[in-house]
Amino acid sequence: MISAILFYSTAFVLFLIGLFGVLTRKNIIKILVSLSITETAVNLFLIAVGYIEGAKAPILTKTIGSISINSLKFVDPLPQALVLTAIVIGLGTTALSLTIAIKLYKNYKTLNITKMGGKK
Amino acid sequence: MKKTEFITGSFIALTLVVLLGVFFFQALFQPLYEGKVMPVDNVNLKNRLSLHYVLKNVHNASKYLASHGKSYFNNRELVPSRKITFGESKNFEEGSANEVTSIVVNYRGFDTLGEVTVLFISIIGLTMLIGGVVGKKLRQPSLIVRTGSRFLFPFILLFGIYIFIHGHLTPGGGFPGGAVIASGFLLLLLGLESYKFNTTASKIVESLAGLTFVSIGLVGLFAKNSFLANFIPTGTIGFLYSAGMVALIYIVIGIKVGAELSTGVAELKEGDEND
Repeated sequence: MISAILFYSTAFVLFLIGLFGVLTRKNIIKILVSLSITETAVNLFLIAVGYIEGAKAPILTKTIGSISINSLKFVDPLPQALVLTAIVIGLGTTALSLTIAIKLYKNYKTLNITKMGGKK
Repeated sequence: MKKTEFITGSFIALTLVVLLGVFFFQALFQPLYEGKVMPVDNVNLKNRLSLHYVLKNVHNASKYLASHGKSYFNNRELVPSRKITFGESKNFEEGSANEVTSIVVNYRGFDTLGEVTVLFISIIGLTMLIGGVVGKKLRQPSLIVRTGSRFLFPFILLFGIYIFIHGHLTPGGGFPGGAVIASGFLLLLLGLESYKFNTTASKIVESLAGLTFVSIGLVGLFAKNSFLANFIPTGTIGFLYSAGMVALIYIVIGIKVGAELSTGVAELKEGDEND
């Protein structure tokens, strides 16, 4: 069985990688990729909060049969529902920010944020 | 000069990140309450708020505990609950076999309406901002790609529709189904040079789907005194015709998200040629 600490650690490491990318990269596309990595880390963290060792995915099927208060075989479904929302909103923000990156490239002919501004 | 600046910046960033990492990781092993470490390895669903989401017993539980004058936080296990059996149990508060779907669409349906609105607004913003940008002409695809994409498109569409119709029984639902449909349109856009995506039609479909979502919510308001309340009988758990309003709303969401993402992909590929 996999311990939940592994999931938490992976989420932290991914978050830190994304943060490092946002702080040091100069290419706007790379910054957006780093932001997406950070977002994935937060989603993984939320899913790990609902993880229960040995439990199944929260979908009732024929093989699971039945559940009652004394035999709960599921992981926590509430964080998964929240993460579903977070993924869709992340998709929306990523699409919008990539569009803004395209417009910036058309305007300044570069993706480097230190060279933007000044000239029109 | 520039190079050393960059190296110094990276070093400072690395120090910050490592410090933050140490702060994160020590939280995993630090005693939180009564000398216990954060309960990462002995979680029990009985101690969680989502216990009654799983048992499809949320409204009954709050009514029961209120009538007995008890708080929800310590007395969750006292609430009587029924056993749920796949393919047999009937007439629960909420009849979908997929617990995540039951939370997303039924118990937190208003949240999902807001989520769909956020996606809608971001695609509107994309369409507005992309105006004036004309995409580069891509290379003519080969015969295999052209034939293959035309052949595969109906099957991808069918698979997307399957995913969102079975949202209350299997993994998936409206959002993944819509994404699969949008990927089918993306294949057509990349594979067929002559294919023109009809943006006006997709916008009309999307708006109609959004209106249907809100009107289902309003019917719930008039029938059951609460916006987005379930007004259809929930049926037997595990059957296709079950879960009442959940299946209906996930079909609407699937159509809406599919139309929205296809519009976004088409706009990103073609740009606005009027400018």
